[in-house]
Amino acid sequence: MALYLVRRLFQAIVVLFLVTLITFALLRAIPGNVAAAVMGPNVYRNPAAIKLFDQTYGFNKPWYSQFLLWLGHLLQGNLGYSWDLNQSVASLLGQRLLKSGILVGIAVILAVLIAVPIGMLQAVRRNKLADHFFNGFSTLFYAMPSFLLGLLLILIFAIKFPIFPAEAPQGLGVGVIFGNFNAMILPIATLTLITIALFSRYSRSAVLDNLTEDYVRTARAKGASQRRVLFRHVMRNSLIPVATLLGLSLPQIFAGALITESVFNYPGMGLLFYQQAQKQDYPTLLGIVVVVALATIIGSLLADIAYAVLDPRVRY
Amino acid sequence: MRLRPKAFCGLVIGAACMTALAACSSSSSNVPTTGTPENGGVATFAELPATTPNYIFPFTSSAYISVSNTNLFQYLMYRPLFWFGSGASPTLNTSLSLANYPTFSNGGKTVTITLKHYMWSNGTQVTAQNVMFWINMEAAVGQVDYGAYTNFPNPVVTSSKVVSPTELVLTLNKAYNSTWFLYNDLSQITPMPEAWDRTASGPSSCSTDVSDCSAVYKYLNAQSMNLSGYVSSPLWSVVDGPWKLSQFNSDGYVAMVPNKSYSGPVKPHLSEFEELPFTTDAAEYDVLRAPSSSSKIDVGYIPSQDLPAKPANAAVGTNPLAGYSLAPWYQWGISFYTMNEQDTIGDHGAIIKQLYFRQAMAYLMNEQAVIDGPLKGYAFPTVGPVASQPVTQWLSAQLKSGTQFPYDPAKAKSLLTSHGWTVVPGGTTTCTDPSLCGKGITKGSGLSFTFPYVSGLAWVQAELTQLQSNAAALGIKLNLKPEPFNTVVAGYSGNCVVAKIPCNWDMADWGLGWSFAPDYLPTGETLFLCGAIANSGGYCDSSDDAMIDQTLTSSNLSYMYSWENYLSPQLPVEWQPNAPYQITEVTDNLKGVTPQETTLAITPENWYYVK
Repeated sequence: MALYLVRRLFQAIVVLFLVTLITFALLRAIPGNVAAAVMGPNVYRNPAAIKLFDQTYGFNKPWYSQFLLWLGHLLQGNLGYSWDLNQSVASLLGQRLLKSGILVGIAVILAVLIAVPIGMLQAVRRNKLADHFFNGFSTLFYAMPSFLLGLLLILIFAIKFPIFPAEAPQGLGVGVIFGNFNAMILPIATLTLITIALFSRYSRSAVLDNLTEDYVRTARAKGASQRRVLFRHVMRNSLIPVATLLGLSLPQIFAGALITESVFNYPGMGLLFYQQAQKQDYPTLLGIVVVVALATIIGSLLADIAYAVLDPRVRY
Repeated sequence: MRLRPKAFCGLVIGAACMTALAACSSSSSNVPTTGTPENGGVATFAELPATTPNYIFPFTSSAYISVSNTNLFQYLMYRPLFWFGSGASPTLNTSLSLANYPTFSNGGKTVTITLKHYMWSNGTQVTAQNVMFWINMEAAVGQVDYGAYTNFPNPVVTSSKVVSPTELVLTLNKAYNSTWFLYNDLSQITPMPEAWDRTASGPSSCSTDVSDCSAVYKYLNAQSMNLSGYVSSPLWSVVDGPWKLSQFNSDGYVAMVPNKSYSGPVKPHLSEFEELPFTTDAAEYDVLRAPSSSSKIDVGYIPSQDLPAKPANAAVGTNPLAGYSLAPWYQWGISFYTMNEQDTIGDHGAIIKQLYFRQAMAYLMNEQAVIDGPLKGYAFPTVGPVASQPVTQWLSAQLKSGTQFPYDPAKAKSLLTSHGWTVVPGGTTTCTDPSLCGKGITKGSGLSFTFPYVSGLAWVQAELTQLQSNAAALGIKLNLKPEPFNTVVAGYSGNCVVAKIPCNWDMADWGLGWSFAPDYLPTGETLFLCGAIANSGGYCDSSDDAMIDQTLTSSNLSYMYSWENYLSPQLPVEWQPNAPYQITEVTDNLKGVTPQETTLAITPENWYYVK
């Protein structure tokens, strides 16, 4: 296992290097003057400002030199400075990552807690009313874009029946989130409902597969109750695909969070990426790419470890 | 003159009663005229999506100069020497200015500025030395570090002298149009307190010695990078405006309280003023529609997609929000798309240089249809280099009469056919008689152009789709390419030859044109002078240059009129409708918000609640 982890760590470094290299090259391939993109044509009043900007941020060097410079800074823990937002990228990510993490974390935990039992119920009640109901439920929410669901929830629960606020808690830090948690209900509900739809379908099919396995028949033959079969034997095996999905779906969940953050005026990391991409704020974009790439790699690694935990046959 | 930054992507809207503008000498403050002011209360103001204040030092570099930093943030605390804007009028407001109207003597070469009695919040007086502090800093580092640089003070000002604590005398290198000097150069100045004249190692002397200014600028710029230190900073807490910062979050949340020692004419009625950040206009509109105990907006905006069309001749249309009033917020500026006369693609540059071709394209732009359609009635046509609304003394009678290029495809076709082009409707029109087509255009050349434009502005997309269709009917192919705002600006907004950026592009539209601020006189030296770096189309004409020079040196308005009458049909750029900054929604019990200034400043000291 230790050797496996070392090997995966080495792979992670290579993947991270390649991801950042490709992203960096693509960003630099965008045509036009970066100084003008950042400062607007107003900068043409004083061309010396363009020169200074290029010197300060290394835009007067070839792109690969700029990449090595950036990489050097990254290795020293310096993610750069957002000239657009007038803040260091590290502080921006510090503010936003935690916010997105809380939103995504709560939504994913809730989704797993709800989706797995639903999937099991559907499998046990296959082709019965409950199965059809939850099939319809998951199809509906799986097909529904998060912006539409968010707007519908606002329309119903904030405007038509003013139960929850239309916007997420405002202010810096996580204290404001828990200080006004009522305002988090709709954004969490949006992300949770869509994630439940995703997970419950996988859970259902995994349980169905396992119910036909020999070990289930054996357990039943030995007199194990339906509850014991389900929760003691089937559930653990059925969690394997969900665990894989959980690890690999982190980028998609972040993408979903982007829309949810946008709809509920919740300044998280997904939204930051979207906004700064339009402003050619390279340092911030690269910083986010590093974080998301890391999250994906770690997610994948955790999924592999979860395999081993859930399935004793798997050994690394 | 400056390009409207992204901050201005406010949306479509606004109609309104643009009142005729008062002469600059008769301006007054925006004193509320309705209801009885009730002291106290908190008013909240919605920031446009993704445009949050993030720079407090008023000597703002190109990277940070924007409406959200300057007009909506710094001006509330640090007042410019001369205040421009009296409601709809973009003219000098002597009542809100820190100095009296300057006097010009010695044939216009000597300018005397006399300050009124204003106090800094630390108990010191706003003095002529504080004005010199700014002038010296601009002389030292302005060319690189000041975002609205206009070659002021160098080389225009040859010497400057503080005569007394309230009097400053500037000597100019020659006589200029006094209005131009006041509106485009003196308009830049914001007095800075002595407390700011320092570096990390202690007090400095930038206000008396230019050589000290570079180090002082570096220090103050660094302090302005520390967003979390704004409120507690001993520097930034010294203000001469009506407001003091009480809370500032790096996410864009701003709270201000009245500056109790403000010595200006209008003291705040509110106990607090807040600016709220929003991720999207839809998120902002949700809060407008569903206010809660934790979130409410008193002064916000309605997204264009939610705005009903305005009936013709009405000031505003129906407001879908109960409890709020619609108030379109127009800005002092012009809008256009650019055609690149320095184009290096084949003979495209030669084609665009032909006046008849530019005029043909102008006849294909149906400004009124764009205003009535995607802009929902809330916009004004651009007719030339001077804004048609608000109507000012600088707009000539000819331009007041409206556009010279009403939608007329027949005229466009006639211009092409009479200049040697064989028009192929739906196909590609080609040059069949090069002697008529013009210099540099070869036989068989086709009219097919790429046209990058800003994505995300629905009205621009609708306008250009319409133009594309109109052009296709005459065999002119426009290959529209939506691109992010910054990409369009980076690639196509500068004079490509002068700025040394690629010239291989045909046409471009960043959608938002130019606003005349903080150089408020719409003379053309920045945008239309031959070789001006912001002259994005590369238009170059000696007659135009000579006329611009006259507008800078003579106060005689006839020179201004002659210039704009000449330039308007020359089409150095292609005029398009001027969309409003935003359509404001004001809660009904908050008064004094309107009329909104076309210079895009806000004056919440005028706002008050009524029962």
